[in-house]
Amino acid sequence: MMKATFIATALLLGTAAAAHAEGELFLYNWGNYTSPDLIKKFEAAYGVKVTITDFDSNDTALAKIEAGASGFDLAVPSAGFVKVYNDKGLITPLDLARLPNHKNIAPEWMNVAWDEGRTLSVPYQWGSTGMTVNTKVYGGDINTSAIFMNPPAELEGKINVIPEMGDVLALATMYVGGKVCSEDPEVMKKVRDALLEAKPKWLSMDYSTIEKMTNNDYGATVDWNGSAMRARIGNADVAYGYPKEGFGLWMDNVVLLADAKNVDNAYLFLDFIMVPENAAMLSDFARYGNGISGSDAFMPADMKTAPEIVTPAEFVKNGQFVLTCSGKALEYQTAIWTELQK
Amino acid sequence: MAKARSFSATALPGFAAVAMLTFIMLYLPIITLVIFSFNAGDSVSQWDGFSLKWYAIAWENDQVRGAAINTLLIAGLAAVFSTIVATMAALGTTRRAKFKGQTWIYVAINQPLMVPEIVTAVALLIFFAMLKKATGYTGLGYMIVAHTAFCIPFAYLPIRARLESMDLTLETAAGDLYASPWQTFRHVTLPLLLPGVMAGAMLAFVTSLDTVVITEFIKSPGQDTLPTYMLGQLRRAMKPDVNAISTALLAITLLMLCAFFLLSRKRD
Repeated sequence: MMKATFIATALLLGTAAAAHAEGELFLYNWGNYTSPDLIKKFEAAYGVKVTITDFDSNDTALAKIEAGASGFDLAVPSAGFVKVYNDKGLITPLDLARLPNHKNIAPEWMNVAWDEGRTLSVPYQWGSTGMTVNTKVYGGDINTSAIFMNPPAELEGKINVIPEMGDVLALATMYVGGKVCSEDPEVMKKVRDALLEAKPKWLSMDYSTIEKMTNNDYGATVDWNGSAMRARIGNADVAYGYPKEGFGLWMDNVVLLADAKNVDNAYLFLDFIMVPENAAMLSDFARYGNGISGSDAFMPADMKTAPEIVTPAEFVKNGQFVLTCSGKALEYQTAIWTELQK
Repeated sequence: MAKARSFSATALPGFAAVAMLTFIMLYLPIITLVIFSFNAGDSVSQWDGFSLKWYAIAWENDQVRGAAINTLLIAGLAAVFSTIVATMAALGTTRRAKFKGQTWIYVAINQPLMVPEIVTAVALLIFFAMLKKATGYTGLGYMIVAHTAFCIPFAYLPIRARLESMDLTLETAAGDLYASPWQTFRHVTLPLLLPGVMAGAMLAFVTSLDTVVITEFIKSPGQDTLPTYMLGQLRRAMKPDVNAISTALLAITLLMLCAFFLLSRKRD
């Protein structure tokens, strides 16, 4: 028994040490976010073996990459974190000559606040944060953050709020008329008071919204648009509202890590996912938009016209990018969030 | 007379009710989870008929399969190594005269029980990153070492408890009959200690099986375990395939329990 164990260990250590063979790529991505079909297609096209490893938060991912020797080639941080990675010297600027499909990036996603001209990152998926409402429970206007900040009587005690500090506080700040990441103590005091007043009317602060909206367990929830679409597909009474006071936008982006060992394969992959057809495959799996021009033609039928994915023109102007706040703004946010969790 | 007066917890009023309630609280969520792993629909809370499709879906998922193999491999090896170390530590701290600093040894051995997991995780993250840079080795070895280290106290406690309940008479007798220390250990101490060792190994295995934080921080590419894989699903839609994975893990644990029980019964 003991001998077998030692042999097993020795074998294990041996094979693992030899694992850095040719033709590999190590992708570090959010869990359940990478289309297995796309990976198979990429592997077949280039003979590269892709290993996907999951992370569950931007903070964990950053901590691991910052510690060094993470072993990953590509990572998929959210918009606000791209700058953090860059400031810490954790990513390599992209050699655009090696990315012929870079031109496919949709114009509105080319000069973004966190990456002017897209020299650091390529789009992965993007979406919005708004209100998912069961219209059978509440028939009024759903395009407002009042759904959770000042709930109508029908929704009291039936509201969920996703436990995502940045997204929720951005909605709340815009609702009271402030700017996202406000450092104004007056504004943040209003945000705090409004949230604390609303909280007794909420039911829970939970991530699993699709399930509970489908089963009519929630009357409404602060939600991401992809979940909202899935909930609607399961329950026709569900609709997604874009708050007129301002709704949040987010994007996850693929970056090339400074200590990547498989740089050539990483470039192949970055270019690969900017091919419209492949970008649509990502969307088909993750159920969000992808930021690549021309991918619409390849999108699955139920997403092409989904009002959750294709933001109706009249609401587009109300969308605001939610980056991670810093300094005083973050301090205020954290303090409010801590109080809210009590 | 004496019998009537002796204390027995089972004679307390409400004993049966409390016991039943405890068992229901403990097992009802698990039973629900198992039932919904056989759901034909997409829901983890609405029954749409019986089906094995989520098992098939989970099994066909390469990431799940890889994570399952990692989980069992790490837990198995960590249980074996930590039990060996814990047995030696337990012998070293009980089968000898009391010595100065004994309390500190206990503290040192049980350190993983007292230090918050996140502290260990961050410390290991930094330390292993230095090792990974220096050696270039990124295999499962780090994970096995880390899991072994924090499983030691879980294996140690039942073994030490067993040793403390065994007095020295049989070992002294063996010595009187000219058994060498090794023979005494091999033929007297170890067989008596075996139930404790088994319990320790199982506890270590189960502890390694469900550790999330440390694993999440020290895993290298491709080293997701089932718990970290499931953690990654959290923000996305939970589907019954997670139930299927959990049920499979549960079945493995139950099978192991039964096997150990049968084994230890035979030896008695």
